Amino acid sequence: MEDTKTTPTNGTTPKPAPESRAKNSTNNRRPGVRFQAQRPPRLCPFCEQKVKTIDYKNVELLRHYLTDHGKIKPRRKVGTCAKHQRMLANAIKRARHVALLPFVTQSLRGESAS
Amino acid sequence: MLYELMYIARPTLDEQALASLNDKVDKFITNAGGQVVKREDWGKRRLAYPIAKCTEGFYSVLHIQLPPTAVRELERNLKLAEDVLRYLVTKVDPRLVSDTAPQQEQ
Repeated sequence: MEDTKTTPTNGTTPKPAPESRAKNSTNNRRPGVRFQAQRPPRLCPFCEQKVKTIDYKNVELLRHYLTDHGKIKPRRKVGTCAKHQRMLANAIKRARHVALLPFVTQSLRGESAS
Repeated sequence: MLYELMYIARPTLDEQALASLNDKVDKFITNAGGQVVKREDWGKRRLAYPIAKCTEGFYSVLHIQLPPTAVRELERNLKLAEDVLRYLVTKVDPRLVSDTAPQQEQ
């Protein structure tokens, strides 16, 4: 399935910049539609800044890589490289151990889930 | 070897008891042949989930210089200390020491 919004229909339409294209394809992704691995390769957010260690005390950062349920987001969603995903996962697990991050949420927060 | 020790103390402790616990932990380290490089007390903080029926805890983060063989002993002492809910000892690369300001919640 091609996304008609981002694909130029005729030759005269200027091609969108690869960067904006990548952004669109993640934002406009419809549920149920398989995502296509044809975006230009993106650098891992940690590689961009040449991160050497990920601190387990940096809760704000780690929280960004958790789902609403408190699970670690998969690499395919956040685009981290294997190395940094591993560091991230370790940091999150450490943070969980010292109760800076939850193991599970939702069961505690939302009373509706019974 | 540089390590980082984080521990959570029981929230029911009063100021005096907390101070004496912190002293006790310092003593564990010095008795094991180490020294405290830096100490940071975060104060009372909400826990992400209850530990031993407590929903809060006093966080402390220390940087300690400790011989690797002494880590076990330190961990054993912390485990035996009733007022320590949780602890975590991690290795720190001295070249990459960065100061993360404690984020205060609540």
